[in-house]
Amino acid sequence: MNKKRSGMINNVLTYGACLIGSIFVLVPVLWMVSTSLKTEPETFAIPPRWIPETVTLDSYRAMWVDYPFLYYFRNSIIVTLAAVAISVSISCLTGYGVTRFRFKGKESFLGFVLLTQMFPSVMLLVPYYKVLNTYGLNNTLIGLGLVYISFTVPFCSWMMVGYFKTVPLELDEAAIIDGCSRWQAFTRITLPIVIPGVSSSAIYAFVTCWNEYMFANLLMADEKLKTVSVGIAELNGYYKIMWNDLMASSVVASIPLVIGFIFLQKYFIGGLTAGAVKS
Amino acid sequence: MKTKSHKQEQFQPSKMSLSELTPYLFIFPVLLLLVMLVVYPLSYGVYISFFDTDLGKNWSFAGFRNYLVIFTQDNFLKNIWVTFKFAFLVVAGHFVIGILLGLALNQKKRGTTVFRTILVLPWLFPDVVIALIFKWLANPMYGLFNSFLLEHGLIEKQISWLGSTQWAFAVVVLVCIWKGYPMVLVNVLAALQSVSSDILEAARVDGANAVQLLFRIILPAIKPVLATTVILDVVWWFKHYTIVELLTSGGPNSVTSIVSIGIYKEAFQYFKFGRAAAMAVVVFVICYLISKVFRKVLSDDE
Repeated sequence: MNKKRSGMINNVLTYGACLIGSIFVLVPVLWMVSTSLKTEPETFAIPPRWIPETVTLDSYRAMWVDYPFLYYFRNSIIVTLAAVAISVSISCLTGYGVTRFRFKGKESFLGFVLLTQMFPSVMLLVPYYKVLNTYGLNNTLIGLGLVYISFTVPFCSWMMVGYFKTVPLELDEAAIIDGCSRWQAFTRITLPIVIPGVSSSAIYAFVTCWNEYMFANLLMADEKLKTVSVGIAELNGYYKIMWNDLMASSVVASIPLVIGFIFLQKYFIGGLTAGAVKS
Repeated sequence: MKTKSHKQEQFQPSKMSLSELTPYLFIFPVLLLLVMLVVYPLSYGVYISFFDTDLGKNWSFAGFRNYLVIFTQDNFLKNIWVTFKFAFLVVAGHFVIGILLGLALNQKKRGTTVFRTILVLPWLFPDVVIALIFKWLANPMYGLFNSFLLEHGLIEKQISWLGSTQWAFAVVVLVCIWKGYPMVLVNVLAALQSVSSDILEAARVDGANAVQLLFRIILPAIKPVLATTVILDVVWWFKHYTIVELLTSGGPNSVTSIVSIGIYKEAFQYFKFGRAAAMAVVVFVICYLISKVFRKVLSDDE
C-alpha cells in the first residue's frame, strides 16, 4: 500500500517535472514557428494569436529573395564544415598519438591542451582583429575558419583522447603483429571503433561554429561574406523589425542542428558522456 | 590509467625501433595549430595590453597604466560585479534544473525518450536565435508575455521587460538559464549511469527516504562529473556575450553590462585597444582562479 503510493508520487513528480520543463521549452519554439507563418498585419496583431488566420510561407520565400540569406547560408556551411573537418581529424590523430605511445612531454602536452580550453574567447578579440588584419585575412572565410578551429580543437582533442583510451591497446598490437603499419593500425583498426566519439566531437564542433556570433560579426564586414547568425542579428537592427521574416530565418537556421541531433543523439548522449566521465 | 601505462611499457619497446618520432607526428598538427592560433594571439593580446595604441601606426608604451586605469574606473569594476552576479545565478539555475530533470529522466519510464529530446532542444538553437525569440516574446506592445499576463490580470499595464532597470537583469538571466541547462542535464544523465542500482536498493531497504538518497548517495556519487561541469559552465558563462548583447546591449543603465560587452565596446566603439586587452587579461586571470578554486573545493576527498 505504502509502496504503491510512493510509486504514484514518484510518477507524478517525474512526469510533472518533464511536462513543465517541456512547456517552458516548447512555448518559445512554437511561438517562433507560429510567427514565421504570419502575414505582416497578423504579426503585429493585438492581442497576439497562436494560430494565424491566414497561414503563409511568404517569409520563407522573402528570406531567399529579399534578403541575402543564400550567401549567408553558403558562408556558414563552408566555414563550419571546413572547421569541423579539420579540427576533428587532427583531434583523432592526437587522441591516437597520446593514448598509444609513451613519449617525452606527453603530460605537459595534455596540460597545455586543457589550459587552451579555459581561456575566455573574448580575450582573442583584439589580438585576432589585429593579427588577421596584418596577414590580410580579415573579412575572409579562411580567417574566420581559423578562428573557429582555435575554438574547437582543444575540446575535440580532449574528447578524442577520452575515446581512444577506451579502446584496448591489444588491438593495435595484434594488427601490427599481423603486418599492419602504424598508420594502417590507426585508420583500419582503431579509428572505426571510435566512430561514436568522432560523431560527438563533430556535433560539438558543428554547433559551436554554426552558432558563433561575436567574431563573425566583428571580422566579416563584406555583406556577401556574413554568416547566418550575423544575418539574423542584422534583421534585428532595422528601424522596423519584421518579426515574421526574422523568425522564418531563425527556423531555417536552427533546422540543420535539430535534425542532425535527432539522428545522431544516440551517439551523442552516450558519446559526450564517455568524454565527460573520463576527464 | 595505471594498468594501461603498464601495458604500454610492455608493448612499447618493439615499436620504438620503428621511429622515435611517430608519436610526435601524431600530435604535431594540434600542437602547431594551438601554438599558432591560441598561444600566439593570446601572448600578442598581453603585449597589446601594455600599449596605448590604435593598432595601426601609433604604439606608445604605457607600462601598467592600462591596468591602473581600468581598476580605478568604476566602470570595469562594476562590469565585473555584474558578471559575477550573472554567472552565479545562471549556473545555479542550470544546476537546479539540470539535476532535477536529470533525476526525472533517469527513471527510464515510458515517454522519457521523447521528453529527453525536447528538453535538450535549447542547447541546439543558435544564441542569436534564442536572444531574438525572447526579445520578441518580451516585446512590450506585441509580445506574448505581456498579452498573457494582462489577460490573466497578473499585471495592470504593459511592461517593457528589457527596457526597465527593474526587470532587465532578471530576464537576461532567465533566458541564459533556458539556453544553458541542457549541458548540465546531459552530463548529469551520463553520470547517473554510474550510480549502481544495488546501492540505491540497499539504502532503501535500510529505510533511507528520497531526500536522504539524493543527498547522501546520488549527489556524492556524481560529484566528480558535477565538478568538471560546474567549472566549465562558470567559465563559459563568465565570458558570455551574444545573448546579452542582442537582448539589451548591456543596458538599461548598465544593469546588464557584463564584462565581455564592456571589452567589446572599449575596443570597437571607443577604440581603446590597449585598455580592452588589459581587461581581457584580467578576465582570463579571474577565469583561471575560479577554476583553481573550484577544483580545490570540489576535489578534496577524491
